[in-house]
Amino acid sequence: MKTAVIGTGVICEQHLIGLSRVGAARLVGVCDLSPAMAEYTADRFHADATYTNYRAMLEQAKPDVVHVLTPPPTHLRLVTDCLDAGAHVFVEKPAAPTHAELTQLLDASTRTGKLLVEDHNYRFNQAVQQIEQLVEEGELGTVGEVEVRMVLGIRGEGGRFADRHLRHPSHDMPAGVIHEFITHLCYLGLMFIPPGQPRTAERVSALWSNHGGGDHFRYDDLDATAIVGDTHLRIRFSCHTGPDCFTLRVRGSEGWAETDLFLPHVRVVKPRPGGRQLSPLVNQFAGGWTLLTASARSFRDKIMQRSAYEGLHELVVRLYDAIDRGAPMPVTTQDMQDTSRLVDALVAGQEAA
Amino acid sequence: MKLLVTGSTGFLGQAVVRDALRLGHTVRAAVRPATDVDRVWPDRDPRLDIVRIDLRRKQGLAEACRGVDAVIHLAAVKMGDFYDQMLGTVVATENLLAAMDEAGCKRMVLCSTFSVYDYMRPRSGRVVDESFPLEPDPDARDEYAKTKLLQENMVRAHAEKHGLSLTVVRPGVIYGPDNLLNGWTGQQLGATRWARVGANAQIPLTYVDHCANAHVLAATTDAAVGQTYNVVDGDPPKQKRYIKLLQRRLTPRPRVIPINWTLARTVARCGWLFNRMCLGGKAKVPSILVPCRLHARAKPYRYSNAKLRDELGWEMRYPLEQAVDRSLAIERGEAVADDAEYTARPGEAPAVAAPVTEAATA
Repeated sequence: MKTAVIGTGVICEQHLIGLSRVGAARLVGVCDLSPAMAEYTADRFHADATYTNYRAMLEQAKPDVVHVLTPPPTHLRLVTDCLDAGAHVFVEKPAAPTHAELTQLLDASTRTGKLLVEDHNYRFNQAVQQIEQLVEEGELGTVGEVEVRMVLGIRGEGGRFADRHLRHPSHDMPAGVIHEFITHLCYLGLMFIPPGQPRTAERVSALWSNHGGGDHFRYDDLDATAIVGDTHLRIRFSCHTGPDCFTLRVRGSEGWAETDLFLPHVRVVKPRPGGRQLSPLVNQFAGGWTLLTASARSFRDKIMQRSAYEGLHELVVRLYDAIDRGAPMPVTTQDMQDTSRLVDALVAGQEAA
Repeated sequence: MKLLVTGSTGFLGQAVVRDALRLGHTVRAAVRPATDVDRVWPDRDPRLDIVRIDLRRKQGLAEACRGVDAVIHLAAVKMGDFYDQMLGTVVATENLLAAMDEAGCKRMVLCSTFSVYDYMRPRSGRVVDESFPLEPDPDARDEYAKTKLLQENMVRAHAEKHGLSLTVVRPGVIYGPDNLLNGWTGQQLGATRWARVGANAQIPLTYVDHCANAHVLAATTDAAVGQTYNVVDGDPPKQKRYIKLLQRRLTPRPRVIPINWTLARTVARCGWLFNRMCLGGKAKVPSILVPCRLHARAKPYRYSNAKLRDELGWEMRYPLEQAVDRSLAIERGEAVADDAEYTARPGEAPAVAAPVTEAATA
């Protein structure tokens, strides 16, 4: 399969590390407005050619799959052109800033018969997969509450979002900088809605704040609850508290499980052998052991430079495998639509406020 | 001459602007959009013209380059991850070169760095001059060395292809007010403790005003076109001398924990071998345990400024002790005249700068 990338920033490196695990893929083109960036990336990942014009790349390299890794406001044009050129597209999140724009992209995908997949990478992190398996096996009972919390110190001096000289494109998204991350929070919440229930929010409460003040950041905090069927989704984002974390907690009728994707572990509280009397004690021992072993693993991961992007690498492998076999996509059109609708609902909460 | 200075509000940049004005040139200072210019230049010289641009985007760059005789390109990013540095150093330079072409500006002085040299393979004791080998394995070094090498190579290739008159200036370790400590003086452990690796390696120090003067001379001297110059002050001090000098002047007096150079490099070598043989070379360890990074900070070499002195007539204005005292006085907010008389402390260097070159004395 011939692959190409458009945009060679930070996330491109992770896409290409994932791609290097796909034996059937050949990187035929790397495109960036900066020749130096394109050449550096092409050198590092052994690409056939570099381009500064994506249309020239589509025409000359004729890729089967294109990874679109540019800022979201450029997606509509780039993704549509790639689909029209006969390539499947794997696009970075958010695929579109609004559900209406996502619908346009999906229409283009249907019209051309080519696939469009949005990056929902954290769904494929081992810890999340482990919690998903616990839910599927009924270990936690019926899921009633999912809390996803991301804390990132991106307002600090020196970071690319706080840079006052060169405004990051995400500041101009409907939810400002939080729009850069909100897709992750929403798809992680929605993936645990029990099967058979509609994945549309019936009620939404979204409190958007700018605790740090000033006009550079529109918001630096989101505290939202969405009621989806019988399940409460709690979505929290903050860049004015610390330290950084990315936690997921799934509560069911029988037990709960949690992880922090930045320091991966899966802590599970559920009925244990020993009945109701001893279960709390056994859960506490099990939790202690989990943290102990996870701390050793996190230390190893830190030394070995393994990051929270392991899910992206896995998603890339599954995506190419699915394309190759004509199997269902690891991230479906329905997943993308549900996520995008929930983001729209949260953003509408901002407007109402 | 009219000079465009990028990175003009930085540590070196401010000194370059000051020196260019002192020598009678007109300066256009490239300043990023949100910078508080009045804080940097409260009493602005009428020959100093400000242009607000960010080199990471192309807008306004060609206009900024129009009508200038030479560009002194100092802007670079030292902090952040590789991509921050790539954007702020390499892509920024790429944009600047395109803008210079568009504006018809054909003269550039590029501020490179000693970090581009290979400190791992050449034997100890060699003289580091402009012909010293460059790092052949940038991926093993830090992001700064990597991006500065990419930048230098890109500018050289552009100069050859587009007829740009280029001078590359490679400063050693620049010191001055608020910048007296550096990687060579050791790793800071808390407020008053340093771990210092080695004692007898020379530190290729250059006082910020001296370094600035080298850049201005390079931009205004025809003989500099096509040349590369290392900038290092005469008589570079060994680590122990420089640290002792700082200890005498700083309060509270810093405590130094000495680490033997042979021991340090042996430990780094063992760590590197273990990483390579047992961990597939994938482990990320502190710089002090990466041989090529350790060697870049503490291997005993000697340094030459002979070419800079001979070809550009560059001279030091202040000996080391006087430059350190000036720096501390400026840090305290005291007014320091350019030609203030200096009395050396007992047992320290004489008041007259004697720019010794190692190559000459070797």
